[in-house]
Amino acid sequence: MSKHEMLGAPRGAKQRELACTINGEDMKLEVNGAKRLLSVLRDDLALTGTKRSCEIGRCGACMVLVDGKPINACLTMAYQCAGKQITTIEGIGAADGGIEPIQRAFLEEGGFQCGYCTPGMIISVKALLDRSPDPSEEEVEEALSGNICRCTGYGGIKRAVQRAIEWRREAP
Amino acid sequence: MLLKRESSGKRWRIRPDGLEKVTGSLAYLTDMSAAGMLYGRVLRSPHPHALILRICTEKARQLEGVHAVLTHLDVPGLNRYGIAHQDQPVFCENKVRYVGDAVAAVAAETAELAELALTLIEVDYELLPIVDDAERALLQDAPLLHPQGNILHHSQFHRGQLGSGFSACAHIVEDTYFTPRQMHTYMETEGGLFVPQEDGRLTVYSPTQHGFMDRLQLSRITAMKQERIRIVSSPIGGSFGGKDELNVQPYGALLALKTNRPVKLHHSRWESVRAGLKRHPMKISMKTGTDASGRLLAHQVRIIADTGAYATLGAEVLNFTVEHVLGPYRYEHVEVDGYSVYTNNGMSGEFRGFGGNQAIFALEGQLDRLAEKLGMDPWELRRMNMRMPDDPGPFGQPIVVTEGAMQVWNAAEASDLWQERGAPNREEEREPWLKVGIGSAFTMHGGGLGVGIPDPAGGRLSLAADGRIEAIFGYEEFGQGLLATLELMLIEQFGLAASDIRMIIGDTDLVPDSGSTTASRATSMMWKTLQNLKLPFTSQLLERAAELLGISVDKLAMGAGGIYETAGNTLLLSYKELAEAEGERISCSTSFLFPTSDTSRTGAHFLYTYAAVVVKVEINQLTGRVRVLDQYHAVAAGPVMNPQGFLGQIEGGSSMALGFTLTEDALMQQGQYMTKNLDTYLVPTIVEHRGAVTVEPIEHLPQGDSYGPRGIGEVGSVTLAPAIAAAIHQAVGIRVTKLPIEPELLQNDCAFAFAEEAVSKR
Repeated sequence: MSKHEMLGAPRGAKQRELACTINGEDMKLEVNGAKRLLSVLRDDLALTGTKRSCEIGRCGACMVLVDGKPINACLTMAYQCAGKQITTIEGIGAADGGIEPIQRAFLEEGGFQCGYCTPGMIISVKALLDRSPDPSEEEVEEALSGNICRCTGYGGIKRAVQRAIEWRREAP
Repeated sequence: MLLKRESSGKRWRIRPDGLEKVTGSLAYLTDMSAAGMLYGRVLRSPHPHALILRICTEKARQLEGVHAVLTHLDVPGLNRYGIAHQDQPVFCENKVRYVGDAVAAVAAETAELAELALTLIEVDYELLPIVDDAERALLQDAPLLHPQGNILHHSQFHRGQLGSGFSACAHIVEDTYFTPRQMHTYMETEGGLFVPQEDGRLTVYSPTQHGFMDRLQLSRITAMKQERIRIVSSPIGGSFGGKDELNVQPYGALLALKTNRPVKLHHSRWESVRAGLKRHPMKISMKTGTDASGRLLAHQVRIIADTGAYATLGAEVLNFTVEHVLGPYRYEHVEVDGYSVYTNNGMSGEFRGFGGNQAIFALEGQLDRLAEKLGMDPWELRRMNMRMPDDPGPFGQPIVVTEGAMQVWNAAEASDLWQERGAPNREEEREPWLKVGIGSAFTMHGGGLGVGIPDPAGGRLSLAADGRIEAIFGYEEFGQGLLATLELMLIEQFGLAASDIRMIIGDTDLVPDSGSTTASRATSMMWKTLQNLKLPFTSQLLERAAELLGISVDKLAMGAGGIYETAGNTLLLSYKELAEAEGERISCSTSFLFPTSDTSRTGAHFLYTYAAVVVKVEINQLTGRVRVLDQYHAVAAGPVMNPQGFLGQIEGGSSMALGFTLTEDALMQQGQYMTKNLDTYLVPTIVEHRGAVTVEPIEHLPQGDSYGPRGIGEVGSVTLAPAIAAAIHQAVGIRVTKLPIEPELLQNDCAFAFAEEAVSKR
């Protein structure tokens, strides 16, 4: 048994070159196609803003944008990322190098405590507001129902989302 | 005044640790890595109770890329740990007692290899009968889990004559309450990085609530001097009591020392579930009686707490429950009998509320039942029996005088939500199977560790060489906003700008031992520390400045950026200039103990926070599901140190209590977890949070009170469950005794008929 097989890769799987865009940068990565995106980001690229928590797609701590859609990085295989545009929390921010209004809203409203769920939460809010700039309360709930926060009781998060919506309305 | 951004003005501030959290740039200790790092994994028992006949690690050792395989034979020091009682094995020698018990650990070049190595470790077990029920563990013929028996701790309290008390009662209610094995579900699972240093020291980067306690315990295990170990312990992605006890640290430390390479461990969620602590499941039987007017006369309580396989803080949690089942009420005749019992179930331990949550659910349930028997308003019954400001504490012990009980009672009574209770359904038309009710409950909750338990506190202020004023504490930031609170106190009490301040916490090489960051104590203790240091530190700074400037001290004051002339309000000397001036370094420290009651009763408290909750719920009689529509919390804890943090702690605590009440139970069968991850263990999501959480802090303290702010870290999580139970009763007439509430209990056949009728009309 080769070491490669021992590591749990499917028989015949090879280290493949994976071409994708991560945070706007074209990347060519040598990875096993069955490796999870979460591991590629955290372990290979040291992009640790994407958090590891439940690893079964329930908590949203590892949410990233794949072609603009919010995706759990723990459920995404490396091979599924070929040719995709991936944005992690490290890639979220204003064009001038400052922070996004969503991030500022979380800061000002106290929409976090321990902060471990916050990157994933902000990614989900970003995906929501990009597709629906003026969402209803139900839409906000649905968009964030896959992001668990154990600290805040969601009050601060709801206030942050409302504030981000207001800011977008004021300055389109 | 209600707590919100608008009412907080300038005190509503962006947290100092905020920017890094919203940008993802904050390195949690489980995000760290090091060159040449190995990955650690722990082999745990598949059986809840078994003898170990043989452990063979040969094949695992031979695997290429595996650098260490450790068992009990490789522990240089004490093969046990535990904050209060060291009875939990680092590695089991000859017996396993629950499915999280560790048997071996490996360090390998990749996580996958480490995982594979675990499968190559051969352990032969002989299965033993499983004790999976605390009550059964008490029976004569139950298998013994520990040589001394199955009772970890027996705690009793009595006053008066229970028999004559009950015979004088006009009304007696009796019920048994069950509470779940709640899981902390911190989003960051346990883990960290363990780095051997060139000088032979060991640096541990792993979350904990008390770095010095970890250092002491690791020193016992590794047989290294404490000073040879450095614990870096913050920031933490949530703890709620769950990371106070050692978890990955013994394994990471031993593997790093053995391999002389950095080792990383990070639990998977399932590993965290099986090995981690839970809230003690409890069965609380209560018999409570009043006279014809509603005056409480007698109260009898029996508590059975399932503490799992080892002690950790099981005894201390039980003591807390025994105190809190008495609560803020007056009775002459009281008897409490509590047992903390070993089983082969998952480990129970410290969890936000510390046994108060279970107690208050039962006690407040009794008050509601008595009110119904008496035909009285339940809130009025509470007022009638409530402790008065100078009454002693639950055990009859002297406690600090406050009007907290009456203050929160009055605030809840006056709240819009409670005023609505006569007609909770009025504002909108609902489907006939949706029923709405309003309920309330209240509590007094002890802060600090209590009598007889070492509870040190303190900290240090220094002027650093670069002109920053350093605030140095041994506390930890696990999300509760400790840094934000400390920064705000420094700004307000010393007149500093945020840019003048450097806060140093969470590193045993740099900080004094300020005691644990638990028991709602850190804010109180930081405040007290600053009170103690204010005069000596300020006068040292001003005296030095006076010498340099040739102006008398009484004309100088500290301010943003430096020393000011009080008259002209002009900046005379920056802190940097002051730091650069010749002379001994300016630094002041203080250490003291958390205030305790003058009593011999172990665990009895001296400082209490009071809280009342009013809640409005909607019950769907088709699904049996409960939805919380609105919440009001009054909290009497003295002056609010940090409005954003205060609100966040009460909102967050209430969310945790919502899960405790409605969905959360780490189910076990035959000592095995049925709920292994967040697909079956259901914590509240944003969808469960309808309506507002209104928080009203009551800041007024009696004149001359020197204790300042009381803790609020736990109290938000203790009173929601009984309030929801009361609201359910108002809505559908059903009394809940078991948490989480089973939907079947609230489903109603008539509601199905209504639903069919409604559907057929469409």
